[in-house]
Amino acid sequence: METNTTSLPMKILVAVLFLFLLGPVILVVPISFSGEQILSFPPASWSFRWYTALFNNTPMISAFWTSLLLGAIVTAISLAAAIPAAYVIVRMRTAGSGFLYNFFTAPLLLPTIVLGLAILIVFASMGFLGTFTGLVIGHLVITLPYALRVLATTLGNLPLACEEAASTLGGRPFTVFRRVTLPMMAPGIVAATALCFLVSFDEVVITLFLTGPRLSTLPVQLFHHVESRADPLVASVSVLLIFLTLAVVIIVDRTVGLSKTFVK
Amino acid sequence: MMHQKILSGTPTASTDRDVHLRLDGLTKRYGDSVAVAALDLAVPKGELVALLGPSGCGKTTTLRMIAGLITPSDGRIIVGGSDITASPTYKRDMGLVFQSYALFPHMTVAKNVAFGLEMRSVPKHEIEKRVKEALAMVRLEALSERKPRELSGGQQQRVALARALVIRPSILLLDEPLSNLDAKLRDEMRNEIRDIQQSLGITAVFVTHDQVEALSMCDKVVVMKGGQLEQIGTPVDVYETPATPFVASFVGRTNRLEGMANGDGTVIVGTGGLRVPGRPGGKVEILMRPHRLKLVDANAAPEGSAERFNRLAGTLTRITFVGDLLQYHVDVAGSEVIVEAASDHGRGFWRAGAPVAITWRVEDTMVFGRGA
Repeated sequence: METNTTSLPMKILVAVLFLFLLGPVILVVPISFSGEQILSFPPASWSFRWYTALFNNTPMISAFWTSLLLGAIVTAISLAAAIPAAYVIVRMRTAGSGFLYNFFTAPLLLPTIVLGLAILIVFASMGFLGTFTGLVIGHLVITLPYALRVLATTLGNLPLACEEAASTLGGRPFTVFRRVTLPMMAPGIVAATALCFLVSFDEVVITLFLTGPRLSTLPVQLFHHVESRADPLVASVSVLLIFLTLAVVIIVDRTVGLSKTFVK
Repeated sequence: MMHQKILSGTPTASTDRDVHLRLDGLTKRYGDSVAVAALDLAVPKGELVALLGPSGCGKTTTLRMIAGLITPSDGRIIVGGSDITASPTYKRDMGLVFQSYALFPHMTVAKNVAFGLEMRSVPKHEIEKRVKEALAMVRLEALSERKPRELSGGQQQRVALARALVIRPSILLLDEPLSNLDAKLRDEMRNEIRDIQQSLGITAVFVTHDQVEALSMCDKVVVMKGGQLEQIGTPVDVYETPATPFVASFVGRTNRLEGMANGDGTVIVGTGGLRVPGRPGGKVEILMRPHRLKLVDANAAPEGSAERFNRLAGTLTRITFVGDLLQYHVDVAGSEVIVEAASDHGRGFWRAGAPVAITWRVEDTMVFGRGA
């Protein structure tokens, strides 16, 4: 623990900023326990009815499972592709490493709406619209750059000497990678996993173009719900999402340390 | 006996049978710049050789080429008679101790040491036994289950040494292994590494920029500068008979004077005359070790004959107390000459501003021609 030498005005400023950022999020919690028909604050009566309604809302629940499965698959593919890619780009430094890195991370620079539209046009001709495969590919476009960026940074910060030591001790290149490089990359891999999953789970813009009447993700389902109705159901979904996100963050913090993972 | 052998100057040319490591015109070029230029070196079995030089002299590049971590542009590396220039690092059987230790942070001390044995598919019970022995050798048995980050610098250093030696490598390579340790620990580790190396009789190459390490630990010293070999010799050779002014000033401290040689063994420096070994001619530079000089009263009678002792008059400008030594700064015809003497209660007999003379033996005068 560092010694706390923050001055009082600074503390107040930070508290105000936190309130500003988190206020709306915190507001969602009481609203989710509302007994009313319409979204309002403060609620005139309290109940669990919107949680019950949520669990009886089949499209919402099935969208949740779609999102969860989608996030898991997209994360797994992102890591499987980004780990070798980061290794080749950072460690092997072949001609064009820099170009490849910029090329793979370029989707981060494009407006998501443009990406979504482009994917829509391409997928429409290929029959991928409204399919799970289509969603996976669409999400990969934005999760891969995140994974690659985090992993390349992690690898770049690792001392090469450890891998060199392993090879002088008789480790063949792949053994060195498996026994030394990969374990040393663990914090970056955990960070990339969390990031990919959250980005995919949270993605609306591109997904809006790709979902259909029979296949929807949770954020898109929420979006449609709010469009048609203004009941506190969205608040109860939001509360569950907040806790899910919190769970991911806490797991990351407990396993490798939050600041070590995201702040570099 | 060992000492005598060093003093008598062991011949550097060994027969092919004794040579364990041979570098044959080893060269590394990066674009137009040459990091190591056609280095030839023969290391007999069981010898500890230092590659000594300032940073950028090519010593680390040479070591990394021996380990296979850098591909040479030209030349050959021969170990025990076979050419290994093209073989990959993992097949070379070299133990390398890194400056940063490079311990695997996610493994315990014991796992770190066991790594090389696992790579060699040594049976499990034997791995256990050899790891124990290796850790005992560096006196770290008690810490075998710790992680590297829980160890001090000196302990990490010893783990790195155990990890490199446990595989019984054909050659031990040490890349500035002591430079991250504090002064007292460095002295200890110096003796420890030397003792272990001698008791195992292992051929070793030691990269350092510290002349004390090179002189005190090694059988032979290779002095390098700007990728070029300056001199190969025993520690006594490179200190007493440096081949170049660079070697003289890099290995130990020196005073430097410029003069004009007459070709008959005398040199004119300022208004004084000096005798030097040999018969150089033309412009020369004269180098003398500060601790081989003696400060005398300007009017004192010469101590010995002018044949055997040199003498220059000057003015004492400053006295510096550095603990075990007193440094006298003497102005000799516009050049500063430093005379070192053991300090006695921190007080010298001399006062700044006094007219003095410095004397030294003719054979302690190193003379180098200053080009054409």
